[in-house]
Amino acid sequence: MEPVLLRARGVPNSRSIDTYLAAGGWSGFAKALSMTPDAVVQETIESELRGRGGAGFPTGRKWSFVPKDHPGPRYLICNADESEPGTFKDREIIEHDPHMVLEGIAIASFAIRSNTAYIYIRGEFVRWAAILEDAIAEAHRRGWLGKNVQGSGYDLDIWVHRGAGAYICGEETALIESIEGKRGFPRLKPPFPAVVGVFGKPTVVNNVETLACLPHILTRGAKWFASIGRPKNTGTKLYCVSGHVKRPGVYELPMGVTFREIIEGPCGGIREGHTLKAFFPGGSSAPVMRATEVDVRADFDACAEAGTMLGSGGVIVLDDSVDMVETAANLAHFYAHESCGQCTPCREGSDWARDILDRIVAGHGRPGDPETLLRICRFASQGMTICPLGDAFSLPISSIVRKFPEEFERHIQAASAVPQKKLPVLPWAGSRPGFGS
Amino acid sequence: MPKLTIDGREIEVPPGTNLIEAARAAGVEVPYFCYHPYLSIVGQCRICMVEIVGQPRLAIACATPATDGMVVKSETSERAKEAREAVMEFLLANHPLDCPVCDQAGECLLQDHAATEQGGQFATHMVETRRTFPGYERRLIGPHVIQNQNRCIHCSRCIRFTREVSETAALTYKSRGNSAYIDTFNGEPFADPFSACAADVCPVGALTVRDFRFRKRAWKLRATPSVCPGCSIGCNLFLNHHERVVYRFTPRENPEINATWLCDHGRFLADSLNAQSYLHPHHRAAGQLSRVTWSEALRALGFDLKAAHTLRVVGSANLSNEELFLARELFVGHLKGEMVVPVWAGEQRRMKNGRGEWQQATDAHPNSQGARRLGLRVVDPAGLSRFLYGAADLTIVLDPTAHPVLAEEEALQLLRVSPTVAFARTEHPIANVASWLLPTTSMACYDGTFTSSTGAVQRFSAAFEPPGEVRRTAHGGMSPTVPTLAQPYGPPAEARPLWFLLTVLARELGATSLDLPDVESVFALMSGREKGFAGLDWDKLAGPGEDSLRERQHVG
Repeated sequence: MEPVLLRARGVPNSRSIDTYLAAGGWSGFAKALSMTPDAVVQETIESELRGRGGAGFPTGRKWSFVPKDHPGPRYLICNADESEPGTFKDREIIEHDPHMVLEGIAIASFAIRSNTAYIYIRGEFVRWAAILEDAIAEAHRRGWLGKNVQGSGYDLDIWVHRGAGAYICGEETALIESIEGKRGFPRLKPPFPAVVGVFGKPTVVNNVETLACLPHILTRGAKWFASIGRPKNTGTKLYCVSGHVKRPGVYELPMGVTFREIIEGPCGGIREGHTLKAFFPGGSSAPVMRATEVDVRADFDACAEAGTMLGSGGVIVLDDSVDMVETAANLAHFYAHESCGQCTPCREGSDWARDILDRIVAGHGRPGDPETLLRICRFASQGMTICPLGDAFSLPISSIVRKFPEEFERHIQAASAVPQKKLPVLPWAGSRPGFGS
Repeated sequence: MPKLTIDGREIEVPPGTNLIEAARAAGVEVPYFCYHPYLSIVGQCRICMVEIVGQPRLAIACATPATDGMVVKSETSERAKEAREAVMEFLLANHPLDCPVCDQAGECLLQDHAATEQGGQFATHMVETRRTFPGYERRLIGPHVIQNQNRCIHCSRCIRFTREVSETAALTYKSRGNSAYIDTFNGEPFADPFSACAADVCPVGALTVRDFRFRKRAWKLRATPSVCPGCSIGCNLFLNHHERVVYRFTPRENPEINATWLCDHGRFLADSLNAQSYLHPHHRAAGQLSRVTWSEALRALGFDLKAAHTLRVVGSANLSNEELFLARELFVGHLKGEMVVPVWAGEQRRMKNGRGEWQQATDAHPNSQGARRLGLRVVDPAGLSRFLYGAADLTIVLDPTAHPVLAEEEALQLLRVSPTVAFARTEHPIANVASWLLPTTSMACYDGTFTSSTGAVQRFSAAFEPPGEVRRTAHGGMSPTVPTLAQPYGPPAEARPLWFLLTVLARELGATSLDLPDVESVFALMSGREKGFAGLDWDKLAGPGEDSLRERQHVG
């Protein structure tokens, strides 16, 4: 397949605007400027482009929620706070083709009639923030940004806002709070950002990869884009493969290839002498998959059908050398550290789950621990929390407990073989409803 | 007006009402910790989960507006109950089990909920080490507030209070996740003029008021509706008292005046109501004060008053409308004397009402507006001095603490010229010059009304009989001086409310129309005669009806 989003990878001097213009860059935005904003939205809806940040929400429909008659300013935010463990696609795009991102931002801003766009970039991405700043300056000099772009009468400014390294700021409302200079606490929804977003104005937040698709949709047409991949799961997708494969990295493949095709194709299969044990299909927040589920198609709908999610497309491959309990503990450490602390189930639950998993790994597991973990996960997800971070830690941990019960059993049995310090039992405990009883 | 069903009860509420308030109107209690009607809604505690029929997920009642035809299940929903139990397990996982030594016990939302919701039955398999915040267990963060971060349930009410109400943004979160804790911004002392309200809104014992800590267990306190005597704004409050000792003021909800707030200045006047320096009537003969009985004192005073050709009276804007009315009718109307009410500007005070509007105090007295309404001559310090320089056969000072000028040597010299009658409660130099020293009581011992600077006539109620001397122990506790089995509150004092003394004097002077049995009758007479009080109903002046649940949840 001819690369679309990664076409600049390996091209010398690919970040320069001249290279980008020579490859037909900024012509998508030029085409958009000759259309009406509504026509751009329509074109995007027809392309069936779905958000690449994790939720897979149709991009064109997201734009159409912005109130058309809103008098004041409205904003577009490019979410480059790529912090999901196992995900490194946005950085790759920015590294090789920053102008493609800027062009996508310009098209989306034009479509929602916004004159100001922000790029919220992860704090650790120091180099990539500088790349974007350089590209913005270059685009300004060539008249693709700023006042009266290319004589069209349309104004657009893009600002790069660096985060401070919080995972939660990848959540769109926490991101908005962070841009406003506040603590990164997700907001209660509704109202949704499309109505009340940054500075109280209608705001659309799109992922870098989503925006990078737009120039191609405009230049080659929605039909072309929709012809790639599968119905309702169109276009190409960047899969970030990490873990125990021979050639980890970012690969661009049409949406809907199977995970087996990804792992055994460009990645060269599992490392020598080992077999696949499990994999996370879409970053660490997606429910884990067993080796037997490797033939599931890597698109939004097929993953949802299989009880997991494509998420960000960060495929984390684990081979038979991995202890799944330790994997769960590792994840729990990340989420307990990144929980914002705002609402109860996530704040308390992520910490509690981490403590339990640490204890099991340390050889002090007890019967009933897996049930306690499942209960924590159940009541920290499915709408019990303000933002999806509750689900993000609950789903992978509960899926590991459910799909690999024998590993927990092994740890707990090994622990009970060693004499344990007996904890005092309160006289009234035992007969009461509670965790694990 | 949306009409909805909550737990099978139909209710119609104004548009925009959230489900907690709608349920309360329907008589259903939805538990909450982070919600507060005068603060923004954050939906952080997640305990107010309810089931809305037709929606796959549970919803938080605080952030869900009532809509027409909605069918809500709170107590009747197994799913909501299960979710609330889980939230309680989460909250209690790291909450210390120190209720017996926690000063919030008895008025703690978490404790109440744990005790009632699950039938007091609670078990957990949490065997992990509890999260603690070493160094933050007993931290004085400001002049009045002590923090115990271990008990914090991260509801952010205190933070929102300082941001949205007191507008100092003095409190903030630090750190993240389960290590997040409350701290003062920049680590500066929490010197907010409303700092104790942050402890009020704290649903648990994470923030407690230093001045009240360990003085009295919350369940021993009785609450009597009253009005703040601190300035002319007239904030509504409860006197919290036990065994004839006032321990604290807590806010009483009134959206028009103080929402559910009290400023630190007014709140910490509570202890001043316990002062009772003068316990018996005294008469000065040959330069010596000697104790007399009330009947001797009032009879003799009656003769003196009748004999006086010129009579002057220094009133006070700290007195109730009824007392000012009685004094005016008796001394000005009946005896043709001259009366002034000195008003002192004092320090500027302010308060935010339920609509978020600031109100300023015009002076330091709770009832200067009432004096004006009664047509009394209100004077400034210069006017008071001029008044004292005038000659009179007899001077009556109804409340020597009314104005700082009265304690100055110049004023005392002027009062020495002719006989002076002083009605006083607390230690005051006027006792050295008065020929009659008659003890009165604090406002905790009688009913009355104050007129606020905005013109609201508000009633305060008698909390207890006039106490004897109150003794303060070394650790700050208070008790009657000589409690016995027969008189557990100590020997009764002879101090009497001023209104009562004035009615007895009226009888002595033959003004029978003023010889009234209770304050309500005085008020009825006043509202019949005075335009400023016409049409007011004594029973309706006590403020909005008491909703014990609501009071507890907002203040606790």
